[in-house]
Amino acid sequence: MITVKKKDNVITISGHAGYEKTGEDIVCASVSSIMYTTLNAILRFSNDAISYEDDKKKVTIVNKKGDNITNTLLSNMMSLFLELAMQYPKNIKIESEE
Amino acid sequence: MINPYDFINMISLDIQRFAHKKGQSSTQNGRDSEGRRLGAKAADGQVINAGTIIYRQRGTKIYPGKNVGMGKDHTLYALIRGTVKYERCGRNKKKVSVYEV
Repeated sequence: MITVKKKDNVITISGHAGYEKTGEDIVCASVSSIMYTTLNAILRFSNDAISYEDDKKKVTIVNKKGDNITNTLLSNMMSLFLELAMQYPKNIKIESEE
Repeated sequence: MINPYDFINMISLDIQRFAHKKGQSSTQNGRDSEGRRLGAKAADGQVINAGTIIYRQRGTKIYPGKNVGMGKDHTLYALIRGTVKYERCGRNKKKVSVYEV
C-alpha cells in the first residue's frame, strides 16, 4: 500500500503499491509517473521552488516557494493521487493534515 | 520552447519506484511433493486374495498380524485368501490379520 501524506507544505510518499510484481505494477507506475512529471515540471519553472529527497523508503517533497505555479502543480498531483486512491483503494491511500 | 533533452536538475523517471523491488518478496518455498496415497487399501471385514495390499504406511503405524506380511517399505499385504481384521496390539498399538474364509 502506497501512503501519500500531506502536512502543511510537505508531501511524503512511501510504501509499495503491491498491485502486481515489479515491472507489471500499473498502480505504482501511475503514482511514479504523476510524481516525476509534476516535480520535473516545477523544476523547469523554478529550480528552487521545491526540495526533493528519496531515501529509498520514502520520498519527501517540500514546497519551499509556495508560488502559484508550484501550488497548482502540487495540488493537481494530489488530486490525481486522490483519484487513483478511489480506483485502487487497496494499493494507495491519502492522508491529509491541513 | 524548452529543450526536452535538457536533463539538468531533472529527477530521473523510475516508473516502478513504488513497486516491490525484484526478488524482495520472492520466497524459497512454494514446492511440495506429490501425495503418496498412503493408508488403508482393504477395509475391516473385507475378503481379499493372497498378495493383496492391505495397508500402505511410513514406518509401522500398523503391525502385521496373522497371515500378513510386511514389505521393506512397511507395506502390509495378505499371505492367504481371507477376511481382513484390524485388531489391538498391546496397550496402544494396532495390527491387522487375515483369517481364512
